[in-house]
Amino acid sequence: MLTISDECIGCTKCVKVCPFGALFMEGKVAKVNESCTLCGACLQSCSVNAIDIPRTIGTVDISAYKGVWVFIELLDAKDGKKQIRPIGHELLSAGKGLAAELKEELCAVLIGHHVSGMIDKLASYGADKVYLVENEMLQDYNTDSFSAVMCALVSQYKPSMVLYPSTYVGRDLAPRVATELFTGLTADCTGLSIKNGHLLQTRPAFGGNIMANILCPEKRPQMATIRPNVMKKNPPVAGAKAVIVTVNIPIDKSIIRVKTVKKLIDESHGIEKIDEAKVIVSGGRGMKDRNGFKLLEELADELNGAVGASRAAIDMGLKPKPHQVGQSGTTVSPTLYIACGISGAIQHLVGMESSDIVIAINKNPDASIFNVAKYGIIGDAHAIVPRLTEALKNRKKA
Amino acid sequence: MEIISLIKQVPDSTRVKVDPVTGTLIRAGVPSILNPYDHFALEQAIKLKKEHNAKLTVLSMGPPQAEEVVRLALSLGADRGILLSDRAFAGSDTWATSYTLAQAIRKIGKFDLILAGMMAIDGDTAQTGPGVAQQLRLPQITFCNELKVEGKKLIAKKLIEGGHEIVECIMPVLCTMIMPHEYHPSYPSFMSIYKAQVEKPAELWSLKNIDAEIKLLGLEGSPTRVDKIYPPVSKEKGTMYNGSPSEMVEILIQILKEEEVI
Amino acid sequence: MSSVDLISLRLMLNSLKQYWKKNLSLDFLQELDKKNEYPKKVIDDFYDPNILGVNYLLIPSEFGGIGGNNVAVYQLCEMLGRIDLGIATTAFATFLGCDPIRVGGTPEQNAKWMGRIAAEQMIVAYGATEADAGSDLLNLKTRAKRVEENGKITGYRITGNKQWISNGGVSDLYTILALAPGGASWFIVEKGTEGFSADKHEDKHGIRLSNTTGLALDDVYVPVDHLVGLVEGQGFVQAQAVFGYTRLMVAAMALGVGSEANETAIRYAQQRILAKGPLSEKMGYMHKLIVPHAVNLEAARCFIDRNSKRLDEINEGLQTEGAIAKYFTTEVADNCADDSIQALGGYGYTKDFSPEKLKRDIKIAKIYEGTSEILQMTIQRDRWQEHLKTKGGFYINMAREMDAVHAKNPDVGADSASLCLKGLSAILEVCRTERLTRHQHVTFKIGDLIAKAEVSHSFVIAASQDKLFEGVRFDKETYQAMARVNARETAFNVILDGIKLVTGAGNVDAHALAAQTNLIQIIQKQQQITADMDLLSVKLCEIFNAR
Repeated sequence: MLTISDECIGCTKCVKVCPFGALFMEGKVAKVNESCTLCGACLQSCSVNAIDIPRTIGTVDISAYKGVWVFIELLDAKDGKKQIRPIGHELLSAGKGLAAELKEELCAVLIGHHVSGMIDKLASYGADKVYLVENEMLQDYNTDSFSAVMCALVSQYKPSMVLYPSTYVGRDLAPRVATELFTGLTADCTGLSIKNGHLLQTRPAFGGNIMANILCPEKRPQMATIRPNVMKKNPPVAGAKAVIVTVNIPIDKSIIRVKTVKKLIDESHGIEKIDEAKVIVSGGRGMKDRNGFKLLEELADELNGAVGASRAAIDMGLKPKPHQVGQSGTTVSPTLYIACGISGAIQHLVGMESSDIVIAINKNPDASIFNVAKYGIIGDAHAIVPRLTEALKNRKKA
Repeated sequence: MEIISLIKQVPDSTRVKVDPVTGTLIRAGVPSILNPYDHFALEQAIKLKKEHNAKLTVLSMGPPQAEEVVRLALSLGADRGILLSDRAFAGSDTWATSYTLAQAIRKIGKFDLILAGMMAIDGDTAQTGPGVAQQLRLPQITFCNELKVEGKKLIAKKLIEGGHEIVECIMPVLCTMIMPHEYHPSYPSFMSIYKAQVEKPAELWSLKNIDAEIKLLGLEGSPTRVDKIYPPVSKEKGTMYNGSPSEMVEILIQILKEEEVI
Repeated sequence: MSSVDLISLRLMLNSLKQYWKKNLSLDFLQELDKKNEYPKKVIDDFYDPNILGVNYLLIPSEFGGIGGNNVAVYQLCEMLGRIDLGIATTAFATFLGCDPIRVGGTPEQNAKWMGRIAAEQMIVAYGATEADAGSDLLNLKTRAKRVEENGKITGYRITGNKQWISNGGVSDLYTILALAPGGASWFIVEKGTEGFSADKHEDKHGIRLSNTTGLALDDVYVPVDHLVGLVEGQGFVQAQAVFGYTRLMVAAMALGVGSEANETAIRYAQQRILAKGPLSEKMGYMHKLIVPHAVNLEAARCFIDRNSKRLDEINEGLQTEGAIAKYFTTEVADNCADDSIQALGGYGYTKDFSPEKLKRDIKIAKIYEGTSEILQMTIQRDRWQEHLKTKGGFYINMAREMDAVHAKNPDVGADSASLCLKGLSAILEVCRTERLTRHQHVTFKIGDLIAKAEVSHSFVIAASQDKLFEGVRFDKETYQAMARVNARETAFNVILDGIKLVTGAGNVDAHALAAQTNLIQIIQKQQQITADMDLLSVKLCEIFNAR
């Protein structure tokens, strides 16, 4: 229960920011009523730290928490409208299996402004229910407003788990919510399953050199962030419908403390976005120079794919950073990944090993890249790649 | 202006392996370093300190040997260095770590800006910075690569999907920093190290130095549990081919056909 | 005494290491080596208090330096040796050049000159050696004539030539040994003094980044207060006083070179695949080219560490230990560098890999600051006195110490070390009764046996401690296996060599000698040495892994 101490000076700021009208003035001090969801929005407004939400120490009643939730991140589309970031579909697909095993509902959390048109799409990827919070203050992502909304929703509806994308937005939001709600959060998961009714979260650590399985046995909801392109997307089911739960959470603009002045979208990005490409031709140190990469670009063109690079190649300046595949770059899982002159350092492997088909071309038969390749070609990529491009061109002509 | 820089000592991660038999980390011969993201954030803090004549305090949490990174920070130019070290903090996950750091920051008292690396390279979570901000009810700006202070206002350039964003916030605020791709951390001269040792001893804080609820610390205060750790499983080796380039091209065409890529 | 604590020392070494990794690639160093070029910019950075300021560790804190103790200084020297022995020599030569002032200067001279050296980031050279005066400084030819006014000495005029002077062409300040009417004395000469000039930079086999020249002094005038200590005739005493720690420094530099060579070979061995497996899994390769050197280097490290710590306590002396440290380490490092070329095969023979340069560089360490042969003689001379004074008890007492260690900790090879020391005492006794030290060959060889036996004794003590000293990168199990291997090998080699030596030079009864030296027991102690070496092969690869 939220408490207001006698430090209260009666400034009324908290009453104004409460999204649920749970705070009111009684004489010269603020009081709280039963509509309080413990969302915490008021805490930051109090200049004398009179408001407190004591933490529940020890085990919570985990049986009171039901439902697998997915936080849906929205992206700016080219036409200026919002669209669902594809990771949302991946998380719904992953959440579907978990929900089925637990016999719980799969729910999407959709926060924004004029976004209800996306609900059917979420349903087609398996959402049984969509929590919809619409408000002009929620047009763009903001840490303060979105965390207040998430805390309020979770406190009120008590899901057993919440999955977030491991993106700039997800990694900004999830730790604030988990901290406020005193629950566990596991970052950058690459695997999710159920163990004794709990969410078993698998993640790499130490730059991919080890894997760890993490549980959150005594707190709810269990929270995790998951990297894009790690979970397999289910095919959408046309005509599927979801139950819509509209929640009205008014946001007072005074709770928004960090303000965006300007957005600078990189022009080059998006031309050859490697995280969405179906085919990636990737090069490493073995490609030696920019001419080597030119060979890869020609092959990628022929296969309608993008060009990736290992960290070593990026460090050598052979490709700009957005092309980097691996732990410190982008995780990819295309249908076809062709690795040329890449030895296969662990940090690279964790970023591409979930690709459907991996073909590796390397002179060194002991290169680690062969350990993850379905097909290993021992040879010089400088000799093989141009010939392959040529052969593909000839096939097209024929 | 008062700045607090949060730093962590980490093993040089790229060289850590798991013993396949015992499932424990092999740390022999692996040196400890200052987490590079924190190192970069610290350098930004030092820059701001110089520009605005600020006071810079570094705060770290870890075993006693983590004093080394606090001393490194002092040698690089921090004014005050605190290491939080107590057996009661052992086994902390990001929640308990955030809580402990936040309680220490409350004890430090006044501050305008808290800087931290976006993440530590041993855990790769990026959760502790936002966790501290939430514990302290502070606004946060994550994934920053440039900072500027104008009066009471902090202006930051931060990463967003597909580009950057310029944001601003009235201080106090907590920022987490990414680091440039070609980042060469700076290291102190012998004299700076010596002077820091003589003039600015690191303060060692235990549980007694902060006001903390003991049940929110360490393992007990950590909602998450490590079920097990293990080496990454390597996939079964695929089919290998060897031969002249033209033979290899023929085989590749065959593979692409079989896999229905072409 | 030292103001540098362990954390500061680690941070300093790390700053140096990071500078190395960022700025001093092997290609860069090989290029300078090829061009025979002194790395001015690098040395400037090394001396700049805002960049590295390595030299300040060697300047006492009261004069504006840091005043690192011997432990700090040896660890610095090891790191410098790893980076480049030429650069190490440049830093070392400044230190050596300051030494006559630090040891023999008046407080006023110290304040003035050490203060200037610190404040002006001066590079200093030590000018003792001449064409006919190297190990035999007594042949000194450079003369200092008094300049007198009204019956009062006002200055000196120095004339002569110096040879093989490190930093000769690049120094700001020189300490010059010259024969004054009252005897050999040190004089302080500033760069640019009239009549003073440096010859051309030598074309050397190794340490080609270190500037080495001759010096010509043609009637060079210095005022009287440039006479170190203001009293003539103290030169040799002042030169001798520092050998304890300067030789420990050279030993540490050699340790750095050897370790770098050894670790390079270990990493290479894990990458080079031969007949379906890495070389690191080939026992014949590892036991010949890698493991023995790793053990010897670790033995050298512990001896240097132990005596640096002793020197920090007692503040002066330990000339014999300094000689042993330098003799043992430089020999071991040279052998290791040689075998590291072998370990890399054809690659090792090219300039693309470091062992080629390390091998050329390390050679000088066996020559400067006392050649190996002079040191063998020094070691024998000093310990022979001890042997006679104690009526053979010197090594028997050390053996008893080993017995006590063995009773507490049977896993560190103390039993073998005890047998070795007892046997050594017996061999020295035979030399005495048979008057074998009249053969110079015998005295030199005895110096060698003594060095090996005493290093092994230190290794056993270090391995039996609860906590291994700072700088050891191995776990206890591995470290103890190293001490065991070393103790057994040393016992075997010292006693067999000793037997051969006295049998060859004198008229001794083989059976009696074998009994006196417990030869059979020493042979029995060799059991399990192969298993220990197998363990070490694995552990070395774990610690110095290829990635």
